[in-house]
Amino acid sequence: MLKVENIDVAYGDLQVLWDVSFTVQEGELLALLGANGAGKTTILNTISGLLRPRRGSIRFLGEEISRVPGHKLAELGIAHVPEGRRLFPEMTVKENLEMGSLSPEAKKKRKETMEWVYTLFPILKERQNQEAGTLSGGQQQMLAIGRGLMALPKLLMLDEPSLGLSPLLVSQVFEIIQDINRQEITVLLVEQNVMHVLKMCSRAYVLENGRLVLQGSGPELLNNQHVKEAYLGI
Amino acid sequence: MSLFGQTVICGILLGGMYALIAIGMTLIMGVMKIINLAHGALVMVGMYITYVCYKSWGLDPYIGMLIAMPALFLIGCLIQRYMINRLVEVDSILPENQVLLTVGIMLVLTELARLIFKSDYRSVTTGYSSSTFFVGDMSISIPMTVGFFIAMAFTYLLHLFLTRTDLGRSIRATAQDRNAAIYMGVNAPRVTVITFGIGSALAAAGGSLLLPLFYLWPDIGHLFTAKAFIITILGGMGSTMGAIFGGLTLGIAESLGATYISMGYKDVVGLVIFLLVLLFLPGGFKSLTKR
Ligand SMILES: Nc1ncnc2c1ncn2[C@@H]1O[C@H](COP(=O)(O)OP(=O)(O)O)[C@@H](O)[C@H]1O
Ligand SMILES: [Mg+2]
Repeated sequence: MLKVENIDVAYGDLQVLWDVSFTVQEGELLALLGANGAGKTTILNTISGLLRPRRGSIRFLGEEISRVPGHKLAELGIAHVPEGRRLFPEMTVKENLEMGSLSPEAKKKRKETMEWVYTLFPILKERQNQEAGTLSGGQQQMLAIGRGLMALPKLLMLDEPSLGLSPLLVSQVFEIIQDINRQEITVLLVEQNVMHVLKMCSRAYVLENGRLVLQGSGPELLNNQHVKEAYLGI
Repeated sequence: MSLFGQTVICGILLGGMYALIAIGMTLIMGVMKIINLAHGALVMVGMYITYVCYKSWGLDPYIGMLIAMPALFLIGCLIQRYMINRLVEVDSILPENQVLLTVGIMLVLTELARLIFKSDYRSVTTGYSSSTFFVGDMSISIPMTVGFFIAMAFTYLLHLFLTRTDLGRSIRATAQDRNAAIYMGVNAPRVTVITFGIGSALAAAGGSLLLPLFYLWPDIGHLFTAKAFIITILGGMGSTMGAIFGGLTLGIAESLGATYISMGYKDVVGLVIFLLVLLFLPGGFKSLTKR
């Protein structure tokens, strides 16, 4: 579904990604793991068209997207739930959700999709007329995911959705992500929470200092010596 | 007592029209994060268009306004599309230099107006220019009242546009988090073009409403840039409600200053309030409501 091939990405003169290649298959829950500063967010922003790779290609459903302007990607079927949630703080919960469904396709089904999002996150319905900036951290994360779903995406990219949440909320959010994946939405999940994610993903890649160093299924990586030492502290 | 009441009402009416100009400025400032120092010059251009409509075809300023607004919408879009966005694309140019660009635009517009219309003071005298009505023993200007209500109607329409339509919400979203708006599929450069157009059209509306009340000359733009800037600081940047409060405050202050100090000092009163707010309430009135 998504095929990233040999991309190099730099901020000005500072190169942060080297020869990164990976694929996301239809229907899977793929995880991209790595420490802080490894380049995970940079990868997602490159897919989203906010950054341009120096080299390499990115194909989505067969179409080259590395030169497509960022605002066109939502329409193609990629939704990005950014790191730090990035809600519109002075807009209401409902308005934030409406902002998620701007493409003509999504707009047609806006009402039904919103009902679906409200069944996934009942708290959002209760708070629909409240400004997003006044929600708690967990509620904001749910709204960010809900806003991504409003686009009826084929691929949902989530950047560290567990960041800053209590352990209980983290489990809840991961539960919901699995639930979404079961509803036939392909998920690309970026995380630092390695243990938790390896138990639920279909496959994962490990990114270190801008290079992909490992890949495998969840159980494979859980038993990998390097993963154990570097990420699980065993 | 009736003099005081009359003065305050006059200030409120004037302030409502100032607010419309300032809302245009604050809208642009919210999305572009720059101060548009050409805003007053856009007001001035709008006033000249309305003036020409009156002089050449005898069109009432309230009708002329309906020509000046789309004209300024177009001028604003072109400025944003072909001048400001060009600078934004170049990473090495700092936002400060975008502000310098607006100064350049201001100078060009002002000198163009001087080239065409000379520095003469011009005015529009309609049948109702100096007509008044009475509330008790207070005499109230009719063009001011009409101007105030039209300004409030535009403000309300803008509010509906910004809260009820996808394009309006996209403008607010771009102001609050530009990259997040792009993730949502908002074409941010296009939104900035439309926003600059709307802001300029509101400037033209405010100018046309004030035309029956003010003398017009090419440098009048500076006066409106200063007023819009003061109001924006008073009301807090990017806030429509704040701009209304700021506008009314400035209008009342000017009006009281003109009545009780001296006509010549009315603009000084505005600047004094501006300095006091900057010194003691740097976040504007908005910072009073938050904690
Ligand atoms: N806007 C930027 N300008 C310059 N360097 C950046 C920028 N954003 C990130 N970086 C650098 O790129 C590297 C990768 O960052 P990032 O992709 O955010 O990592 P991660 O998401 O894995 O924590 C880091 O070294 C970071 O300092
Ligand atoms: Mg990151």
